[in-house]
This record gives sequence, C-alpha cells and structure tokens, in this order.
Amino acid sequence: MADDDVPSDSSLLVVIVDTNPNQRYIIEDPKMLTNVLDAVVAFSNSHLMQKASNELAVIGCHFHKSEYLYPSPGKPLDVRQIDGQYELFTLVEKTIKMRLVNLIKSQPQEEKPGESLLAGALALGLCFIARSRRSAIPGLRTSSRILVVTGSADTAAQYINYMNVFFTAQKEQVLIDVCSVDKHLSLLQQGCDITGGLYLKIPSLEGLLQYLLWVFLPEANERSKLVLPGRGRVDYRAACFCHRELLTIGYVCSVCLSVFCKFSPICTTCHTVFKIGGPPIKPKKKKMKV
Amino acid sequence: MTTSSEDVLLSVNCVRYKKGDGTLYVMNQRLAWMLEHRDTVAVSHKYADIKTQKISPAGKAKIQLQVVLHDGTCSTFHFVNPGGPEAQAKDRDQVMVLLQNLLPKFKRQIDGELEMKSKLLSLHPTLKHLYEDLVISKVINSEEYWNTPTLKQYTESSNIKQEAGVSGAFLADIQPQTDGCNGLKYNLTQDIIDAIFKTYPAVRKKHIDYVPNKMTEAEFWTKFFQSHYFHRDRIASSSSKDLFGECAKLDDHAIASAMRHTTLDLTVDLNKFIEHVPLLPTEEEASNEKDRSDNNSIHRNMIKRFNQHSIMVLKASQKSNSSNNSNSSSSKTSNNNNKVIENGVKDTNGVSKRPAEHSTEPIEKKKRILEQIHYEDLVADQGNDDVQELKLSKVERYLLGPSYQISQTSVQTSHPPPLSALASVCQAWSSGQQCQRPARVSAGAAVGALGELSPGGALMRHHHAASMN
Repeated sequence: MADDDVPSDSSLLVVIVDTNPNQRYIIEDPKMLTNVLDAVVAFSNSHLMQKASNELAVIGCHFHKSEYLYPSPGKPLDVRQIDGQYELFTLVEKTIKMRLVNLIKSQPQEEKPGESLLAGALALGLCFIARSRRSAIPGLRTSSRILVVTGSADTAAQYINYMNVFFTAQKEQVLIDVCSVDKHLSLLQQGCDITGGLYLKIPSLEGLLQYLLWVFLPEANERSKLVLPGRGRVDYRAACFCHRELLTIGYVCSVCLSVFCKFSPICTTCHTVFKIGGPPIKPKKKKMKV
Repeated sequence: MTTSSEDVLLSVNCVRYKKGDGTLYVMNQRLAWMLEHRDTVAVSHKYADIKTQKISPAGKAKIQLQVVLHDGTCSTFHFVNPGGPEAQAKDRDQVMVLLQNLLPKFKRQIDGELEMKSKLLSLHPTLKHLYEDLVISKVINSEEYWNTPTLKQYTESSNIKQEAGVSGAFLADIQPQTDGCNGLKYNLTQDIIDAIFKTYPAVRKKHIDYVPNKMTEAEFWTKFFQSHYFHRDRIASSSSKDLFGECAKLDDHAIASAMRHTTLDLTVDLNKFIEHVPLLPTEEEASNEKDRSDNNSIHRNMIKRFNQHSIMVLKASQKSNSSNNSNSSSSKTSNNNNKVIENGVKDTNGVSKRPAEHSTEPIEKKKRILEQIHYEDLVADQGNDDVQELKLSKVERYLLGPSYQISQTSVQTSHPPPLSALASVCQAWSSGQQCQRPARVSAGAAVGALGELSPGGALMRHHHAASMN
C-alpha cells in the first residue's frame, strides 16, 4: 500500500492453511490435504529462497483451534543436512509435518466438526507480524503479507471478526492474499480488496503449486510490475437484518442503522416509530398528447 | 365579458387580423380585437403581457401595428380603413400613441418584480438550482420560496449604497496647460474644487478665511498651486510666507494626537512584521547611518504622510455613512500628492469623542484577548444531558454476515468428515518419505496453470490493459 515503490529489505510471509476436515476436497480424498501441504511447503521454501532475510510463519487452522505449524513454539528441531537440501528448508518441512500431526491428533473426536476458525487464524498471523516488527532491527524495512489457502465456504458467524481483522491489516499495511481452492469466497475477497492483496480461486488442485508460485510469491512492490490476475468485481452489498440476504436497495433505520429489505413502520432493532408513511409514491407522469 | 368591466378608450374599425376584418378596442387594461359581426373577442392582450409594440415603416404600403408579448408571440394588426392610407396611418398612430402612454404604466408593476427575480436567479446559480428543485417539482410554492428569510438577504443587499469617495489621482488629473510664455494654466471646475476641499480640509478652512476678504479666488488658487504644500517635496519651512505652510504643521499635530490616542492592540505582534535584512559584511554600517543623512528625512516624511493617510482612511471607515463632507476617500493611493489631513476642527471632534469610547475599550480589549486564548473545540464538553441512550435488541444482527446459499452442504452431510482417516494419512505423510521427493506438481498441470494465468487466460478476465503501466 504505502511505500510500494521502496523495495523492502526483508519480507515476512504468513501462510494460513485450512486443515478443517469439513472441506469438500478433503472429504472426497483425505490424501489431498497432504498434497496441499506439500505445495505450501515448497512455496514457503521458495519464499525463503528469495532473500536471506525473508521470514516465514505457517499457521494451521482447524475447527477447534489454530496453531503455529512453523516456527515451532518450543525449541527448533535439530536437523542435519539430508540430500544436499538447505537445512532451513529441511527444518521447515519437518516442523510443519510434525506440528500438523499434533494439530490433527488434538481434534476432539466427539464433536461434529464446525467451521474453520479463519478469522482467528488471521488475527494470530497479525499478532505474529506485529511481534516480529517490534523486535526487528530499526531501519530494516519489512513488508508483510498473509496468504490464506482454504477450501471452506464463506461463513456468516465470523463476519464481524473478519471485518476487524481486515481493517486492522489495512491499518498495519499488511496484505491479505487468498487462494480459494473450492468455492467463491466473497467475504475474503472483500478483505483482499480492502488490504490490497490478491484473490484467486483456482479451478483444480493439481496445479496448486504453480498457481501459488506465479501469483502469490512476488512481494507487494513487485506486483505492480507484473501481469497478475486483476481485482474483479467485489461484492460489497449489505445483508438485510431480517433474512440475511444480500441487498442492492434497502431501507436503513436512521437511529440504529440497521438494514431491512422491506419497509416497516417500526424498526425491530431499536423500536423507533417512523412517522413517514410508506415508501415514496412516484408521481404519475402525464403523457404528453402529441 | 371583458368589455363590461373596463372602459374602452378607443375603438378603431377596419382592422384586419389574420385575414379577418374587425374592430380593435383599446381599453383600460388590455388591447382587444373583435371580428366583425361577432360579439366575442377573438384576441385580447393585457398591457402587462405586452413587451413592445412595433409599427411598419413609413414608406410601406401596408400600415401595420405589431404587438410583441413577453413570451415571444406577436400579433399583427393591419389597418385597412377604406378611406385610404392616410386614414389608416392616422388610425394606427392614434392606437400607437395610446399604447405608448398606457404600456409603461403596466410595465413597471409586474415587470420589475419578475425582472428582478430572474436577474437574481441568474446571478446566483445556487438560488436558481434551488428554485428549480423546489418549485418546479412542486415541493413548495413559489410564494413560499420567495418569502424565505434567507432570500431577503440576497434581495436587500443592493440597497446599501456606498458614498463614492474621491479618486486618489484626481489632483494629478488636473493637468496644467502651458500658457505660451512660461506660465501654467489650470482649469478648475467646481467639482475639482469640491474634491480638493474634501481631501484637504485644511485648505477649505483657509479658503473660508481668505476668500473673498483678503484675496480673490484666482489668487487663492494660484498660491495654492504654487505652494510647497501642493508639490512633492514637502519640507516644512516656517520662514516661507506661504499661507499654506501652516497646513504642514497641522499635519504634524494630527499625527501626534493620533499617536496619543491609538489603543495598542495587544494581540498584534509587531515584531513579526520586521523583515530581517540579510547581513552582508559591507552593509552593516549602513544601517547606522540611516538616521543621519538628509536624504532619508524625505523618506521619513513620506512614510509619515502615508501613515497619516492610513489613519484617516481607517477613521473614515469606522464612521457611519451619515457623516458627510469631511470624510476622506476610502481609496488607497500611492500618489504622493494626495494625503489626507485631518482638519483642525475635525481633530477636536475626534478628541471629544474619545472619552466616551474609553469606557468601552477595556471591555473590548478583554473580549479580544479571550477570543485569542479560547479554542471552541478544546472546551470541555458541557455535558449533553439531552442525549438519549440507544436501546437495541437483537444486537447479534449487526455481528452476523450474510448467509450464503450453502447448497453444497447437502453433499457434505451425506459423507461424514473423515477425522480418523485424515489423522492416519497425516501420520503416514509425516513419518514416511523423507528421502524421496515426490513431484509436487505435474508438468501438465503446471503448464495448464500457466496458460490460465497468461494474459487472455481463464483467470485473467479481470485484468485490464489499462492497469499495466
């Protein structure tokens, strides 16, 4: 957003992976989650490869909680060089694998899985960014962004949490990118629009890594120089308070600002009585006789 | 019909209108024409509606009178008196003369108002838009519109007339004409004399003293123009017999009295007005010598005169319009000749007024100081007791987002989420395959993805060429 032209010295990427078993592609084939995670690991390593000072965080988002998959909260694993792979990459991969298993094993078996706690995971990512900014070397320009990889559908219950997160991210100049694997997410698309990130809904899971590398790897100030998918039409319509349907034209109470789809003389939220009688009647136009 | 209520001033037979012969009636308030052998008026124009009348030129065969209305329509009456063109012309001229007398009476009543209103609307486009929005769409009546108090300020603003002051350069405009042999001739009209008196009340006083007792007008004015007082370099030399030499002294008195009586405005920081002259090494001493050289006394005099003039202008603008001749001109002048002096008589008037104002001064001063130190925004809230609390029921409505049509849940509910399967898959994934590096993405899928992301691809539909810089 601001300082787009100034190249940053280091870039912090937070990847939020939705591991909720409720997602359609997981229900159809549970192995696809590991494929998705393979792609995410490769993508994260590519990000670390861009600059030596780049930083990474991966958060796994489940239906009961969200957890850091990388970096591990405790002591980092002791890795040795395997196969000529850069130790950091090995560390990333191993940590993510280990922590994912922990996360999945910790899911409560008795409950029916609910929605993914994506808003909470976004907040967690923002906290990580804020903390790393505070402990950064002064004078080091860091650009931060969050990438959300999810196959869930839009949720109505986390609406206000999403909005809080989006506006905080906008204030903190953090981009939120969204890669939707399955469905069109209008709420997250709004978040991308607000913060200046990119929203992409990919048609198939096979080329996920290619999509990630092509669209989401460049930093914010590089994106303006590349040919990337555009913003598209963002659906900012409000939802009426009675049916929660999206409206283009509605009635707004002037006292409590609640939105309704039909006119009613008493607002059901604040119980204000409106003296104006009914919607305005259009005056009938007299036809000109030629 | 109409003829019953009005008097007919003139009726002219044999007037043709649109191929019909009839009679033209000139009445009190309107012009009417009736077709012959009928008893209903075919054409009737109120004088109020008539803008102008026109007559055909003298040489033409057809003798006609045309009446132009405000909305642009015109009616032409053709005089066809069988008695010949002279009779026709006579008829027409009769009508014309009557109309000439009658039309102006009706014109002013309504025309003026309408004209003023339309002029107002054209001068202030905001008013015009308001008028169009409100009256034409029938939200309020046109009467209500014109009677609103805010409109009065527009209509009445032109009533305040300012008295025209004296032009600053008028004395320079009195250009002398060379008289042939080394003499200058000045033409003085009464206007110029009045202007001189207005600008220099001291001269007026002298004029009253000397004329016509001690010298004639001509001599007086000759001396005036000869005096140093008039000319540029006003070095007051008391030895000169110039009768105007005293006027310069009066100036000094005026300045001194003004200085005594000016109230200091504490809120004005005079130091801010001083420009810092860049200190150049060679010119540092120059500032010390300024007070001494003769040259600069002329500058000081000039500055003194300008200051006096400004004082007079300010005083004049503070007085109401009712005070008359001794008012100085309000125009600023750069012409050295025009400096306003306060008359001796005037001075005493000013002085006598001061004691009355003294009592109001401290109050005003305090008010001004208070104004400067108080910021309205920072004043603590007075406690709005009349604010009602907003009582809301069903607050969760604000917190929930729109509900999306989740038709796919029907597919999902048939399959329970594979919790255990997922767990085992992940376990296998994490423990096995540490050495093998499976292909993360197949070549075909990658190329397909690239194709979709290239310009023109399936995913690039929203990408506009304009966004590429």
